[in-house]
Amino acid sequence: MTSIILENISFSYGAKPTIKQISCQFGSGNFYSILGPNGSGKTTLLDLISGFLKPDIGQIKIDGTDILTLSKNQLAKKIALVSQDYAINFPYLVKDVVLMGRHPFIPRFSQPSHKDYDITESVMENCGIAHLKDKKINELSGGEKQRCVFARALCQDTPILLLDEAFSNMDIRHTLQMLNIVKRAVKEKNRVVISVFHDLNIASAWSDAVLMLKNGKIKTFGETLDVFTHETIQDVFNVESIVEFNAHVNAKQIYYPSI
Amino acid sequence: MVLFSLFLVMMILTSLSMGYIQIPLIDIVSIITEKIFGFSFSSGGINETFSTVIFDVRLPRILTCAAVGAALAVSGVLFQGILLNPLADPYTLGVSAGAAFGASFAILLNLGMALVSVPLFAFTGASITLFVVIFLSYSSKNPMAGLSSNNLILSGIIVAAILSAGISFLKFVANEQVSVIIFWLMGSFASKTWADFSIILIFLFSGTIISMFYARDLNLISLGAKSATSLGVDLKKITLILLVTGSMLAAICVSVSGIIGFVGLLIPHMIRLVSGPDNRKLIPLSMLAGAILLLLADTITRAVLPHEIPIGVLTALTGGPVFCWIFKKNRMKY
Repeated sequence: MTSIILENISFSYGAKPTIKQISCQFGSGNFYSILGPNGSGKTTLLDLISGFLKPDIGQIKIDGTDILTLSKNQLAKKIALVSQDYAINFPYLVKDVVLMGRHPFIPRFSQPSHKDYDITESVMENCGIAHLKDKKINELSGGEKQRCVFARALCQDTPILLLDEAFSNMDIRHTLQMLNIVKRAVKEKNRVVISVFHDLNIASAWSDAVLMLKNGKIKTFGETLDVFTHETIQDVFNVESIVEFNAHVNAKQIYYPSI
Repeated sequence: MVLFSLFLVMMILTSLSMGYIQIPLIDIVSIITEKIFGFSFSSGGINETFSTVIFDVRLPRILTCAAVGAALAVSGVLFQGILLNPLADPYTLGVSAGAAFGASFAILLNLGMALVSVPLFAFTGASITLFVVIFLSYSSKNPMAGLSSNNLILSGIIVAAILSAGISFLKFVANEQVSVIIFWLMGSFASKTWADFSIILIFLFSGTIISMFYARDLNLISLGAKSATSLGVDLKKITLILLVTGSMLAAICVSVSGIIGFVGLLIPHMIRLVSGPDNRKLIPLSMLAGAILLLLADTITRAVLPHEIPIGVLTALTGGPVFCWIFKKNRMKY
């Protein structure tokens, strides 16, 4: 069982705080979404959980251990991240980029093992990028690159996966394909996924729980069906919406009436 | 790799034979084996003049030149990797300007009499520049902003601009010494000694070992700061180590032989086209290729051209157009 506990986290880049006294808890076997308007602190929150940024105040514990006491390598075996920035300037081959996901498991100066290659192959197959494996990453389209970076994070095979708008450039078929892979891992292998979305409907259809941020504070955090209401969306995003349960999706869907 | 090494050895032998006094290859081989293994396989006695020319004049120069080429190329690979920019070179952070300022200062104060001072001042200048640049771009808080490629490049440009104004001022004050400064800045391997070679070799050796140790981390850094961190790379530590390594390599080169451009930019770029971007291959291959190319250039100025021209001028004059060509050819792909 994996647990992530945030205790009274605050963080600021400069004088103005970006994250204000956030406390919450994430547990295994769940798909979490983080939603909120631009600049609400979603990416910063993920960066704090991944250990890329250090909180000014407060502690983040994974399975009871403060992440600051873990080495970068230990942390890389627990948390994988697909960040918004997937640009790669050098002409690495796709299969080499995906194999880099095994980095934390390959000791210095040794060659990747058969297991590493097997995982890489099967992940590329699942993500539908096997046909791209001998191409140069900097010659691919945005969506293809994003799938490669996604595959790299899956290769890390960690109990926790953080997705920062990881689907922003994928077409709908690939978005659903990736979501399926991730959701299956959550249910079958008891993983934790925390994903930042902009599309409320996709978040609603796929998440077990939703956290809404505004101005660096948690506005609401709870089960998906409870969180999506006309009032919360009005409060967090400042837009008019109609929220109703859709039997086809088996979740609430949000419509925006034309003005 | 084996091919490159063989080529380098052949290149060294050929360039040993070329020059004002032509020495046949077979004599060179026998002189060297005699010196190393203590026996001679050639029937005739060894020409004393040839031996002196080879051991006191040509060999130290040739080996220094090869080592400088190798060090500049390795340094170029490191800078391109850390700055995430295939167009960066060892001088991007102003290390050369720092060294040039230090050297000009030493020449102006007439410290050149005590032979060590100019290289020593150049090296000190380069090191101080590096630490100023790192200090300017360092931020303890945010690893994204601190030591990011943009910050480093910007600080480098600012510091280099200030220093080059400083160099101009020194030249202005220098009066008759100005030609010495200018000549030093253009770079030369003339009258290099075994001492020069051993210093460079120590730096090259340790620098390459450090670079190879972190080569795989350098690969991951090219994925971007967040991705590299999430894959277990201690970004700040490794950036700092490799930055210092690359700059020290560049600094020692500049202090020994003046400013030699384009090797550090061109070689990693060319080798990457052949070997791919994996730094574990790129570093050793660039090292060998850098040695070969700079040695070729030096042999041309020393033995082929009627007058010796400064090697820095030659590499820039030939390397520049070659780079333009590669750049233009590859433009289509980006």
